[in-house]
Amino acid sequence: MQAFLITFASVVVGGGLAGATVVGLVNSQTAPPAQSPANVSNPTLDYGSTQ
Amino acid sequence: MHPARWLVPAWAVALAVLMLGPVLGAGYLLTYDMVWVPDLALRTDFLGLGSALPRAVPSDAVVAVLDEVLPGMLLQKVVLLGALVIGGLGAARLAGRSTVARLAAVSVYVWSPYVVERLWIGHWPLLLCWAVLPWLVAEGIRLRTDARLGAALPFLLVVGSLSANAGLMAAATLLAVGVTRSNAARLVAVTVAANAPWLVAGLLHLDTATSSTSGAVFGMNAEGPLPAPLAALTLGGIWNSEVVPGSRGLLVLPLVLTVGYGALALVGARPLARRLGRRTTTALVSLWAVGYAVALLSWAVPDGLGWVAGHVPAGGLLRDGTRSLALCAPLTAALVAAGVQWCGERAPRIPVAAAGAVLPLAFMPDAAWGISGALQPADYPAEWAQARTALGAGQGDVLVLPFTSYRAPAWNHHRKVLDPLPRYLRPDYVVNDQLAVDGRIIAGEDPRVPDVLAALALPDAGDRAVALADLGVGAVARDRTVPTTSTYDAEVAGTVVFDGEDLEVTILDVPVDEREASAGSLVALGSAWAAYVALVLAGAWNTCRPISSGMPTRRRSG
Repeated sequence: MQAFLITFASVVVGGGLAGATVVGLVNSQTAPPAQSPANVSNPTLDYGSTQ
Repeated sequence: MHPARWLVPAWAVALAVLMLGPVLGAGYLLTYDMVWVPDLALRTDFLGLGSALPRAVPSDAVVAVLDEVLPGMLLQKVVLLGALVIGGLGAARLAGRSTVARLAAVSVYVWSPYVVERLWIGHWPLLLCWAVLPWLVAEGIRLRTDARLGAALPFLLVVGSLSANAGLMAAATLLAVGVTRSNAARLVAVTVAANAPWLVAGLLHLDTATSSTSGAVFGMNAEGPLPAPLAALTLGGIWNSEVVPGSRGLLVLPLVLTVGYGALALVGARPLARRLGRRTTTALVSLWAVGYAVALLSWAVPDGLGWVAGHVPAGGLLRDGTRSLALCAPLTAALVAAGVQWCGERAPRIPVAAAGAVLPLAFMPDAAWGISGALQPADYPAEWAQARTALGAGQGDVLVLPFTSYRAPAWNHHRKVLDPLPRYLRPDYVVNDQLAVDGRIIAGEDPRVPDVLAALALPDAGDRAVALADLGVGAVARDRTVPTTSTYDAEVAGTVVFDGEDLEVTILDVPVDEREASAGSLVALGSAWAAYVALVLAGAWNTCRPISSGMPTRRRSG
């Protein structure tokens, strides 16, 4: 059981480190807009995008 | 207790906490369709008497009742955390007794694009449905040999049927797995009771139950370079690209995940079928096929489904096609888990168990910590509570201006959300159910919306007040922070009862033509809610009975 937990913890920690790297990269690319995307020339905010 | 006993529950809790992350902190998660407020007031429209299609029946009413016991902020966290943990544990139960398989099942079920995307877009009733599906499978298996209704079944059905789509999937799962000749009438009765509020409310709106044919935009979508049919195999492919995690846009990760799941499913299929038996296997495969087919149709023939939504009452239930992928989730998790177990029997168990549990996370690492920070709780501005108090229960409905549906408030970190103000206030409300997708307006179903827009277009503030009062509007709440034009906002004559920095509340000084439900509608909806409450009470009775009857019959030891 001890070996199981050590292996499991190792994979979790290793996966976490790898994941954190990708998360940081992706997070920097998906930050919200600083201003509301609706404006007086386009007052209806898009619910979503298919693009 | 053997450590392996708590390993699976601990893993389910850990994954849920890891995924939600900051969401569990103070504040309300407000994202797209997810709107929670401190104290949701119960109102007649929540019961199904509104002029719009009853999309949030019975979820709004259930929340309005429950948040009398638990504050809205806490209730939301219990619902979200509970859904993920219960879903993971349900998948583990489907995976059998092997810890290796159970760990993998939890990860595959919870760490899936379906969960992440539906969480991001705010479809929490759908997540609750997804969470109870494996439990409904287990209940269905039990019901084939044990005719008793059980304590859990009514609650599972109620929790899994908080919206129309969710209710249909919960009912289909239970009936597909559990129905027999002898229990068919009873099972149909309980599933109808669990779905009665939205079913009856929907029937009362049959004349407006068709949606815009433009709804084809809600079909299954490709995720990055991954074609939609492949994305759906790993339970992704939501229409809205804004709520797809970035890692799903990288070709390698989802492609390898798809191939990996496919290979594990292939080797796990035979052992799984042997363990579950022919009937359960057939039911799960059929549910998977239906779920995948509906999603595929929304991608292959979006215009066809758009036509159905536009011409067949309730056809709009099909338009967000990938909702149905929840039906694919139990079999997918069970198959992959069985494949991991197969590997564990032929290779060192510990590395296989660890890999089966962790690798699904590695293929979508940005789902962690509130989808890499995309989900952040927010606090409502202080003056919202003052506006609510000033307006009170009001007379007639409240109209929130600007008359548009979605906001991206600064206090919500500029994240999009369905305008929370109508739910924050106490009266029934009329909102604009038009949606903008890709800059294109998609018409809603509420017949009052065009009339409200016409009233706002009148040249005089007094005339607008009279026209709105004729539509049942008794008050107007204006959010001054939202950019707008005269099409969606205009002065309305009346008495200003609250004039804050961001919000203004005006009560109309003209007689309001309040909406009144017909006696037939009241009787029909009353019966539906009575059946719903009776089902909940039956569940409570079945829960309490074994406890009370078990006490005097407990055997003495020694």
